[in-house]
Amino acid sequence: MVDKVTSEVIRRGLEYAAEEMGIKLRNAAYSPNIKERMDHSCAIFDSSGSNLAQAEHIPLHLGSMGWGVKKTLNYLVKESIKLSEDDVVIVNYPYISGTHLNDVLTVAPVYFRNKLIAYTASKAHYVDVGGKVPGSISGDATELHEEGLVIPPTKVVEAGSLRKEVLDLILRNVRSPEVIKGDLMAQVAACDVGSKRVKELAIKYGVAVLEEAFKEIIDYSEALTKASLLNLPDFSVEAEDYLEDIAGGEAVIHVKVIKANDSVRIDFTGSSPQVPAPVNAPYGVTLASSTFAIKAVTDPQLPVNEGFYRRVSVEAPEGSIVNATYPAPVGASIETAQRIVDTVYLALSKAIPEKVPAASCGSMNNVLIGGGNSDGGGSTWAFYETIACGYGGRKGLDGVDAIHCNMTNTMNTPIEVIEAELPLQVIRYELRPSSGGAGEWRGGMGVIRSFKLLTNKAKLTVIGERVKRRPWGLEGGLPGMPAKYYVVKALTNEVIQLGSKATVTLEEGDEVVIETAGGGGYGDPFRRDTERVLQDYLDGLITAEEAMKYYGVVIKGNEAFRRT
Amino acid sequence: MLSTPTDPSIGVLEGIKEVINESGAKVIDVIVHATTLGTNAFLGQAGLELPKVALITTEGFRDVLEIGRQRRAELYNPFITKPKPLIPRRLRFTVAERISHEGKELKPLSKDELKKIAETLRDEGVKSVAIVFLHSYVNPEHERMAEELVGEELPNAYVVPSYKVDPEYREFERVSTTVVNAVLMPLLSKYFSKLNSLLKNLRLGRPELLIMKSDGGFSTSTEAGKVPAATIESGPAAGVIAASRVAKELGIMRALSFDMGGTTAKVSTILEGRPEVTKEFEVGGKVHKGRLIRGSGYVIRYPHIDLVEVSAGGGTIAWVDEAGHLRVGPYSAGSEPGPASYGRGGKDPTVTDANLLLGRLGDSLAGGEIVLSKDLAVQAFRKKVCSSSGLSLEEASYGTLTLANAEMARAIRIATVEKGYDPRDFALIAFGGAGPMHACDLAAELGLKKVIIPLAPGVFSALGLLLADYRHEFKASVLKPLSKVVPEDLEGIFKSMESKARRVLRDEGVPDERIFMLRYADMRYVKQSHELVVEAPKPFGEEGINYLREAFTRKHEEVYGYFMSDEAILVNARVSAFGEVIKPSFRKEVLKESFKSPPDLIKAFRRTYFRDSGWVRTAVYCRSSLRPGHEVEGPAVIEEYDSTTVVPPGWVLRVDGFSNLIIERI
Repeated sequence: MVDKVTSEVIRRGLEYAAEEMGIKLRNAAYSPNIKERMDHSCAIFDSSGSNLAQAEHIPLHLGSMGWGVKKTLNYLVKESIKLSEDDVVIVNYPYISGTHLNDVLTVAPVYFRNKLIAYTASKAHYVDVGGKVPGSISGDATELHEEGLVIPPTKVVEAGSLRKEVLDLILRNVRSPEVIKGDLMAQVAACDVGSKRVKELAIKYGVAVLEEAFKEIIDYSEALTKASLLNLPDFSVEAEDYLEDIAGGEAVIHVKVIKANDSVRIDFTGSSPQVPAPVNAPYGVTLASSTFAIKAVTDPQLPVNEGFYRRVSVEAPEGSIVNATYPAPVGASIETAQRIVDTVYLALSKAIPEKVPAASCGSMNNVLIGGGNSDGGGSTWAFYETIACGYGGRKGLDGVDAIHCNMTNTMNTPIEVIEAELPLQVIRYELRPSSGGAGEWRGGMGVIRSFKLLTNKAKLTVIGERVKRRPWGLEGGLPGMPAKYYVVKALTNEVIQLGSKATVTLEEGDEVVIETAGGGGYGDPFRRDTERVLQDYLDGLITAEEAMKYYGVVIKGNEAFRRT
Repeated sequence: MLSTPTDPSIGVLEGIKEVINESGAKVIDVIVHATTLGTNAFLGQAGLELPKVALITTEGFRDVLEIGRQRRAELYNPFITKPKPLIPRRLRFTVAERISHEGKELKPLSKDELKKIAETLRDEGVKSVAIVFLHSYVNPEHERMAEELVGEELPNAYVVPSYKVDPEYREFERVSTTVVNAVLMPLLSKYFSKLNSLLKNLRLGRPELLIMKSDGGFSTSTEAGKVPAATIESGPAAGVIAASRVAKELGIMRALSFDMGGTTAKVSTILEGRPEVTKEFEVGGKVHKGRLIRGSGYVIRYPHIDLVEVSAGGGTIAWVDEAGHLRVGPYSAGSEPGPASYGRGGKDPTVTDANLLLGRLGDSLAGGEIVLSKDLAVQAFRKKVCSSSGLSLEEASYGTLTLANAEMARAIRIATVEKGYDPRDFALIAFGGAGPMHACDLAAELGLKKVIIPLAPGVFSALGLLLADYRHEFKASVLKPLSKVVPEDLEGIFKSMESKARRVLRDEGVPDERIFMLRYADMRYVKQSHELVVEAPKPFGEEGINYLREAFTRKHEEVYGYFMSDEAILVNARVSAFGEVIKPSFRKEVLKESFKSPPDLIKAFRRTYFRDSGWVRTAVYCRSSLRPGHEVEGPAVIEEYDSTTVVPPGWVLRVDGFSNLIIERI
């Protein structure tokens, strides 16, 4: 049997390999979404497709990749597609890969002396995969095919050579083909380097030891998960939360979380049926998001692999908004992902409120702008980013201002990069005062970010949430301010309010303004330390009236008193 | 000597006076100084308050500094926090102005607004003002105007415009670097100039005060005072410089500097005698369980010696997790209470304790000043590791060593493999108190063939201060596709940086014959964001363009495994300028042809544990008795005042002409 020391060394070696894959992918990539925002993830799997190690990238990708890789391998077997050394498979079909079409998954087998020993995989959000709007995610798609090119598991590299006809087929179906090509090559490079590192481990320890270590690594993670679950009390709790602006109404997510001994069962029975709108979540999204919340309240440092998922089961009724089936559109399922975390947290708060934050802004605040160049040059462009918001207040800590929460963790695109590469000017990028919900520990402030279009026409799509329903507070904390998305028309100065999901046409000079929601507060605001209220006031984050209204604090000059 | 945080110049001066008294020196020529003052200020050392600093930036962008890259440093932790902004929001001001990415003025700078802000700053008693406008790296005119105006209104404050300290694109990194400089100026720049004048008053000649920088070069205190953020990691840099000198002296093309102390191990790569330098680092980051979390500190976009640091030192603690697995680090017992065997109250077993139990360390350290207790080490392992893991004492202590080595091996892999180097091509230069004890095991683990232990490994780092050169980096933002680069223009850009470099070095007193310069180009494909660095030809003529294109293509293929037919862009032209300093030379003895085993120098024998052979009777030597030309076959242990070298079976040690221990595989 492999000794514990060797297996720990191998576990670290695999995590490191996944990290290195991510660095390669970022550094070589072409689209700002990957090279600046790091909207990508990498992981390594054993020969049966079980997740062994992953780098700390994007939770939504990471949590869904294990499911996606297994589904991909099953598909290949079913379709009699044989993999061999130096092949790379590409797939974005959500019902196999686990998330929306923009997330392109690559899976590459690792062979050592003609024996399959592992797989490397990477998932990257492509700025465009075709479909009805630039950036591919629309607010009003009613079926999957409106959201872009669907790629079932297909070899894009075979025996080390790029399959030009496959590449051309993809590039013909997307906006910004030259950018997509750069990103795809970077993904292949990432798989290569991951494979190289796994082979080095095989040379060093031998395949037999390596495979034993793989097993041990998974068992180890399971043992740690068990131990940390045993530290929590047993409970059975339920909660509901809502998605807004869906086919004229709302959809409900209902969850029941049952923790008994050393395992957890999460059950989404009672959630809305799937809808003809893009918020449907493939099972991969639901799995990733609900287990994310569990990991956060058990041990955030826990090494995540297959072993963790053995202790946490997720049931979601087929055909529902949390386990949609073809041909339901899924482009905006990233928003559903955020709401699933909120719902699970809300349920958990009924058992372990000290371990759970109040609601964060509950959205990724997706902005997509793009179009065809009017000069007839035949080129098209697309811009995609997600915008930070307020984090929920926690027991003993304020919510974080202006940060990405829960299922995403992408960076912003530097303003100086946007302006140099796209026909956009950034007008404003600041905290959004007064947006954090009041509380003993207040919610984080959202962000105001606005763009002006510098070319004569483009399409804007905004995919958000919490425009109507505010991020909830906990333990007496107040809700955060809802999000606000609008366009200021250049010609008329008219302000056009957008709903949480909208696609509109922009003209030159129009300004798109995104005000993201604040986090919910935690605890009774009247218990907030007077000094903290004063500091927020002095930093222009709350007004004197708000200090009075929410906190009962009178501010005079540079001093604050509690009204008694 | 106790340090004096409120006015560090007092402590430093006292120390210098003491040295002078002891040595009877009459004249001091040069004083080289490395300081952790800046780092300590960020880590919140008592008595070191960060000064009141303000930021003036483009209208609409008040919070870029605070929002950062909008990312959280820990993915799954619901209790994450962000670093507190160095300038509170109330001291961040915006002014109407706008420059486009092409350098065109879109909106003029509002001098009226600026004047009003300056008045507020004066009332607030601000000590330092950072000025950062969008796209100032292309056109600094607005920053320059604001600098002048604010300077007039606040004659006693430091004014730091970004174009002077970090003229490169990506606004967050630029504002962060500028702000760190602005924060450090009232502390460091003031301290440098005060120390300088105190030294001049000592009537011991006119000593030149040189400051070590994070990139391993030094500059005069005046130059360093203009970019204090560039000096912040100067301590660890010194050790790497010392190792570089050894590598150069021995003609080693690829070496690893391996510095293992009480709490961490630091690794850097040295190519052809020069340490490798990277572009960006973070100061004051949050440490979670002893490990620095990336994204939790303040970004400084300056070159610094590329150090990989891991939690593995003599004081690193072995423990057992909830699943019954042996783990090592990242907790450390530090120097207080220290390892269990020190008998100072430490209850946790550490790497040093494991070394003691395995017979690698003798019963005392520092020439007998610290007596080690095996009993205490045994107790600590039994209680904290053996009972909960089921491991035997031997398995536990050897496992501790192996895991600590694995952590350090990871550091070496990050330092080499990530850049595409094969660690097996490197020689390991090991120092720090614990380095020589682990060096051969680590070399074996990674397939390295040669280990070098320099003289006085415990204090080797300080030697680096005497061995550095003046070093200055210059960069010019070009941002042009290669096909649009006009060779004469680029030659002009390089030349103007070189003449500026020459001017600075001459001012620092470096004669022309000791000035060396290297040209570099930062390049990428137009649509990428992360540059690869290639050397640029001198002079840059017509054929230069093709040279760069080919060099870049080769490098891209080397790093990523493919190249594209797309256009490459020249992002920055850079010049590294060195002013070589005459350094103390190492004494070298001429050796006869063959090495000989020293007769009768064995001090003692003791049982020592090795991976492949288990417990072996091992000869113990005193390093001071080993002379150049001596040869010792492993297993052997070499003891000296501040360190212990372990030579496993299958390795042979030879003492070279410089008295370095050269250990190689047989």
